[in-house]
Amino acid sequence: MAFIELRGIVKSFGRNTVVKGLSLSVEKGEFVSFLGGSGCGKTTTLRMIAGFETPTAGSILIDGGDVSRVMPNRRNLGMVFQNYALFPNMTVRRNIAFGLKIAGKSAREADARVDEMLELIRMGEFAARYPHQLSGGQQQRVALARAIAIEPKALLLDEPLSALDAKIRVKLRDDIRDIQRKLGITTIYVTHDQEEALSISDRVAVMKDGLIEQIGAPFEIYNRPATPYVAAFIGTLNIIPATAIDPAVGSVSVEGQAISSGRVLDVKAGEELRLSIRPEAFTLGGANSLEGRVAKVKLLGSIVRLVVDVGGLALSADGFNDPSRRIPAVGEAVRLGVPAEAIVVSRPEEAPLVAQAVEEEAVDGA
Amino acid sequence: MKRRTRLSWLWFSIGIVYFFLPLAATFLFSLHGKKGVLSFAAYRNVFVDPDFLKTFGFSLEMAVLTVLVGLALIVPTAIWIQLKVPKAKPLFDVFTLLPFAIPPIILAFGLIRSYSRPPLALVSSPVLLVAGYVIISFPYIYRSVDSGLRAMDLRGLCEAAQSLGAGWGSLLFRVVLPNLRTALLSATFLTLAIVIGELTLAVLLAWPAFGPYMALMGRNRAYEPAALAILSFALTWGSIGLIQALTRTDRDKGPGVGAGAH
Repeated sequence: MAFIELRGIVKSFGRNTVVKGLSLSVEKGEFVSFLGGSGCGKTTTLRMIAGFETPTAGSILIDGGDVSRVMPNRRNLGMVFQNYALFPNMTVRRNIAFGLKIAGKSAREADARVDEMLELIRMGEFAARYPHQLSGGQQQRVALARAIAIEPKALLLDEPLSALDAKIRVKLRDDIRDIQRKLGITTIYVTHDQEEALSISDRVAVMKDGLIEQIGAPFEIYNRPATPYVAAFIGTLNIIPATAIDPAVGSVSVEGQAISSGRVLDVKAGEELRLSIRPEAFTLGGANSLEGRVAKVKLLGSIVRLVVDVGGLALSADGFNDPSRRIPAVGEAVRLGVPAEAIVVSRPEEAPLVAQAVEEEAVDGA
Repeated sequence: MKRRTRLSWLWFSIGIVYFFLPLAATFLFSLHGKKGVLSFAAYRNVFVDPDFLKTFGFSLEMAVLTVLVGLALIVPTAIWIQLKVPKAKPLFDVFTLLPFAIPPIILAFGLIRSYSRPPLALVSSPVLLVAGYVIISFPYIYRSVDSGLRAMDLRGLCEAAQSLGAGWGSLLFRVVLPNLRTALLSATFLTLAIVIGELTLAVLLAWPAFGPYMALMGRNRAYEPAALAILSFALTWGSIGLIQALTRTDRDKGPGVGAGAH
């Protein structure tokens, strides 16, 4: 039996239904992320698990018991908030000890536990500081220590890193994952940052309009997105309008150029389609390819992104920043090769072009 | 730039003169209690007057009761509004203006009319006086508490405390009130200052309070009222100084400076 189980939970605020019958099972010790844009219901779902919101319908089970109507202070869950929410009138030590004192632990017991926590977050020398004397990253580490000091049944994190700088964000997310692994604590993590979700989770639940669109291991979510929404939300995605040429062999036309999708298509010849291709699936040259002209070259650190104009379409193609290879210059003609199995084919209504992740990179003058 | 500095100094000096000249004059006048020499005779007269201590003691007692009752009523209410019904806040802001808009004399007559008959014949009880004072000090207490609550992340702190197992009691006494210290102090001192000098309610409900005593002195004596005025000034300024001193230490380790660390 799952450790945390959500059974068809619904949450409405007045006439506005934010969570629409969501079900989910989380195993003991698992790290699950809720990933989605604003308003997808991810935070509301987490707050229902924490007890700050009561589900309009459905039930929440933790460790076999129905907690749907249990007060938040009786659920024994650790919570970390986006804005840290440390008690400003208490030192780091007293912040971490707060939950232990409430639980009626003796001063000696609490002190020992706080020391253990301080060591875990490597902040022993800051024990006597007040929250406002710490950086954002340090404050969030204290908040994490405070949440796990009470040995909660599960740890809930609500966008804990979104108020921090990019560098600290990466460092702290690794720390969170390390600590979670070390303690084996069941964790639910809410974020809108796909990179964050993919890098630290056992499973990622991509949410949209109050429901889980797809749930799976990070590799599965990224490499085999179940819906065009997931594909577009996770990473950059080229969504390309195409027309079927011969559905029986899977050949399609992109702006007049033929390319193979490598599968039998369930459409008539001449029907409109959408091809979804990840930028990193493209290679320079190759048998199954589209001809175009380089419009932009962008250096993204370890990756070089070419924006290639293919008959007026702006396609992004990523390659490693390998110094031994020549990078095509702007204006140069190139062929973008793509393995047929890297193409996701869908109907136009399933992959609206407005969701195109490359739109801000439209080809100049095209 | 230079001219501007000089100009602002000029305005500042005018302000100082406007403010301190009457004060200095009153002080000087209060020193003329003995003919021909400057002395603190008027102050001595005030302190040896048994009515001074009696009325001041009575008013202080009423003021302390008002603070206790007012805080007990208004602090939880303000917290509740902020947390649960933030939409009702504009309505409450209007309520806080009522004690200013309705003159105390109307309040006094209203209280007398409503509470002079059984089952609630309270006119001769100090309970009614304190109740009236709570109404008069309500805007000051509510506004200080409200600004204190707004300065902290009340919802976030409450949720954090709750998720750590805190019930309403620990939430209030360990988290919210310690962070409201400045606001509670200023509400307390403001209420003390207002109630100790209050005249209308005390006169109409016929209590031997400090306000009526000061009024009586003003009618019958020459130098002692000036001495009293200086004394009450000193008291008020002392209170303000105390707030400053107490909140300065609070600010050194409290919130507020932390905003930059985000």
